[in-house]
Amino acid sequence: MRISFMLAAAIAAIFAGHAEAHARLLHASPKVGATVTWSPTELRLWFSETIQPSLSRITLVSGDGRPVRTGRLALDPKDKRVVVLPLLSALATGTYRVSWETTSEDTHNTDGDFVFKVGP
Amino acid sequence: MRNLILLASTAVAIAVLATDPAAAHAIAGNRFFPATLVTDDPGVADELSLPTISSFKTGDDPSARELDIAGEYSKRLTSKFGVSFGESWTQVKSPDGGKVQGFQNLEITAKYQALTSAAHEAIVAFGLSTEFGDTGADQVGAERHSTFTPTIYFGKGAGDFPESLAWARPFAVTGVVGYAIPSRSHDGLSGNAKVLRSGLVLEYSLPYLASHVKDYGFADFVNQLTPLVEASFQSPVGNGGGKTTGTVNPGVIWSARHYQVGAEATLPINRDSGRGVGFVVQLHFFLDDLFPRSIGKPIW
Repeated sequence: MRISFMLAAAIAAIFAGHAEAHARLLHASPKVGATVTWSPTELRLWFSETIQPSLSRITLVSGDGRPVRTGRLALDPKDKRVVVLPLLSALATGTYRVSWETTSEDTHNTDGDFVFKVGP
Repeated sequence: MRNLILLASTAVAIAVLATDPAAAHAIAGNRFFPATLVTDDPGVADELSLPTISSFKTGDDPSARELDIAGEYSKRLTSKFGVSFGESWTQVKSPDGGKVQGFQNLEITAKYQALTSAAHEAIVAFGLSTEFGDTGADQVGAERHSTFTPTIYFGKGAGDFPESLAWARPFAVTGVVGYAIPSRSHDGLSGNAKVLRSGLVLEYSLPYLASHVKDYGFADFVNQLTPLVEASFQSPVGNGGGKTTGTVNPGVIWSARHYQVGAEATLPINRDSGRGVGFVVQLHFFLDDLFPRSIGKPIW
């Protein structure tokens, strides 16, 4: 009886109300850990949730710690879980670190980073 | 009356230990520590494990078949401090066809997430579990005495490994060490031993690999898997206690947006721990993601 009630309450709770979640990075372009032979013109990050661009930040830093100039963070109008960050300068050969701090629509904050390389 | 006093004492402990802010789930920097099936993860969160189903052959001679169906609800009072309520229903079938079933004792755990290091992907927490004696059924072995278990929980991700070991960064280790103290030394002629309870988990996070190390282009389903091995031990200490018992559980957890599913094989470490291979499966809900503006957020 106790277990039946708990199961019913859990199932009812799942299907009631609107639910978001912590925004986790699913994919990126350039890919996480990849080496690309061209200088990308933008960063694209696919998150598990829609984030709030005004409360989120993505930075790109070169291997020697210098920040790379970027444009304004925006959501892809075709898929609002995709964040686009234009790059305002070409990337030289080297290692780059992408760092993000996001606030999803349910106000959960997540952050993380990954590295990619530009080179032969 | 005694159980009411114990419940009140636990409530007082909760009030005294309550402090302020941190983050939901067991998250430290890039590291998400999934809820593990047999040992408790080091985080404080709003979550529900329902059900956790385990089946195994006991260490009795002859072995009986035991089935446990458990549920645990965890609630954050503040961002760093939470309380969990756990209950389990047990059925034991003996080889002669006999069967007993009933609920185990109610268990309440207060946990405080004392340390979180994003840079080192580390969490340390302290807790106190109270098993309230005489709230469960005698026929399934629910103790008549209460048990208090102060516990240390820890978790450490390998994200700070050097570049030469980048392939190992998705690894993480979590563990618990607790000392179970019975409320009385004897029940009749039977001695109640203190028990050292320990657990260790080694996990390899494919979500971490894809998001922070290298995206190999695996299917999304694969990128949500965390293979792991859990080990759980109980070592009686003094007062007529017996051998160390425990299990080693290889398995996998699949993490979705609002819930996770886990499945493990249960391998007893010795004859006293059981016979043959059992299993444990669990459905676990992230209540802070399901209900971020209501029951899924800290009370204070």
